[in-house]
Amino acid sequence: MGQNKKEFLALEVDSLRFSYKNHLVLNGINLSISKGKIFGILGANGAGKTTLMKLITGQLNSQEGTIKVLGKPVSESKHSIGYMPQKHSLYQELSVEDNLKFFNQMYLGLSPFKSHSNVEEVLAFVNLIKFKKEKVLRLSEGMKQRLSLAIALVNSPDFLILDEPTVGLDPEIRSSFWAHFKNLTKTKKSLFISSHTMDDASHCDKLAFLRNGKIIAFGSPKELREATGKNNSSLEDAFLYFVKNN
Amino acid sequence: MKSINRTICISLRVIRQITNDPRSTALIIIAPLIVTSLIGFSFIGQKEILNKITPALLGVIVFFFSFLVAGVSFLRERIEGTLERLLLLPVKKVNVITGYLFGFLVLTTIQTLIVLTYIIFMFDQGYNNISQVFVILMLVTITSVSLGIFVSTFARNEFQIIQFIPLIILPQIFLSGIFIPVGEMPQVLQLISEILPLKHTVFSLSQIMLHGKNLNNILPQLFALLGFASVCLAAGMATIKNRS
Repeated sequence: MGQNKKEFLALEVDSLRFSYKNHLVLNGINLSISKGKIFGILGANGAGKTTLMKLITGQLNSQEGTIKVLGKPVSESKHSIGYMPQKHSLYQELSVEDNLKFFNQMYLGLSPFKSHSNVEEVLAFVNLIKFKKEKVLRLSEGMKQRLSLAIALVNSPDFLILDEPTVGLDPEIRSSFWAHFKNLTKTKKSLFISSHTMDDASHCDKLAFLRNGKIIAFGSPKELREATGKNNSSLEDAFLYFVKNN
Repeated sequence: MKSINRTICISLRVIRQITNDPRSTALIIIAPLIVTSLIGFSFIGQKEILNKITPALLGVIVFFFSFLVAGVSFLRERIEGTLERLLLLPVKKVNVITGYLFGFLVLTTIQTLIVLTYIIFMFDQGYNNISQVFVILMLVTITSVSLGIFVSTFARNEFQIIQFIPLIILPQIFLSGIFIPVGEMPQVLQLISEILPLKHTVFSLSQIMLHGKNLNNILPQLFALLGFASVCLAAGMATIKNRS
């Protein structure tokens, strides 16, 4: 791949392998994702999605292969990543606003009495302004999910990694999430989203199907559907088609 | 400056988390007052015994509660994934551990002030060099908070932190000289007590509060406490990222 083309890449993964003890979780992953796009990785539970995300964020060290985020190795780029883990990862005894301010202050190294103006904006986006003084332990699961997303967004990162961000959300909020994700790409932000639902997959610009630690298909939702050779086939049909042929 | 800000933010967050949780606040403030009252009223006519018990009581209270609350708080950070999330930001392990230490130093200072004031006024007691007591208790807090962080690596839930109490706290209480003077114990136990921070804490506090000594007179104990604090701090720091 030419140097110019590499400048437009948000993520490059090359021959990545990873094992937990003797269990091979990721087996030769290769990926190139352009900047300003939404990339979705689909797979059943245990397929290796979360491990791949932890390697990209630097929470795990790769054993074989290389990863570059925004053109830099993980060790240099991990602070440019906004990460929303599958677990909510929130301070239960603190209020919604205090959680958001804390992660914002930690990122920017701000004085404890200052926080970025972005905090209110992000709270408004996730529709939690009314609950900003509420302790996290009193929130519903869906609200915690929204706060967790707000924390990933508050530092305006260029590359967002969201591990199953729409799980447990009602259809209305899920739809507003996707509208916002698409808006983010207009400002050249790149999104890496894991999911196991085909509804989420249809919103992505590019998709990869992950099975037993291997990518069994890569392309746009349209390309993957067309690969089945059948008219009107769904992404679910496409997934089953690739599973059967691999 | 940014690094200092991060440490201060973590300290304030630790304090806010604990004060926002009524059970933790009760554990830190009300439980020591109940224990102190029970002991105080039991020896109400025996001022001398109460006098002797107070330094030991202070040391045990600070060690026990900061170990327990820091261990549980840090375990929650690991279990709930906030530590992982925090370490993805430009936050260093040293910010996390010093943030915890400063937060707990504030809490244990308040705890000590309340307990001491209560004993002095409620039971009409008088002690020497109160300000130097805080230097000793600062070293105890560093030791116990770091030990709590270290132990949280080996626990999977809060109940397992409690299971460390008979292993880490109780032997120290028995061998610290509170019940039987260390000099009257068998040789082996005397040797074991030398490597336990609470023995040096109780001895130092007694010397300062009861015998009018100052920090210069207890330098060996002070260095021993400094050594325990350094070792526990290094162990806490080394294991901070494990088992997140």
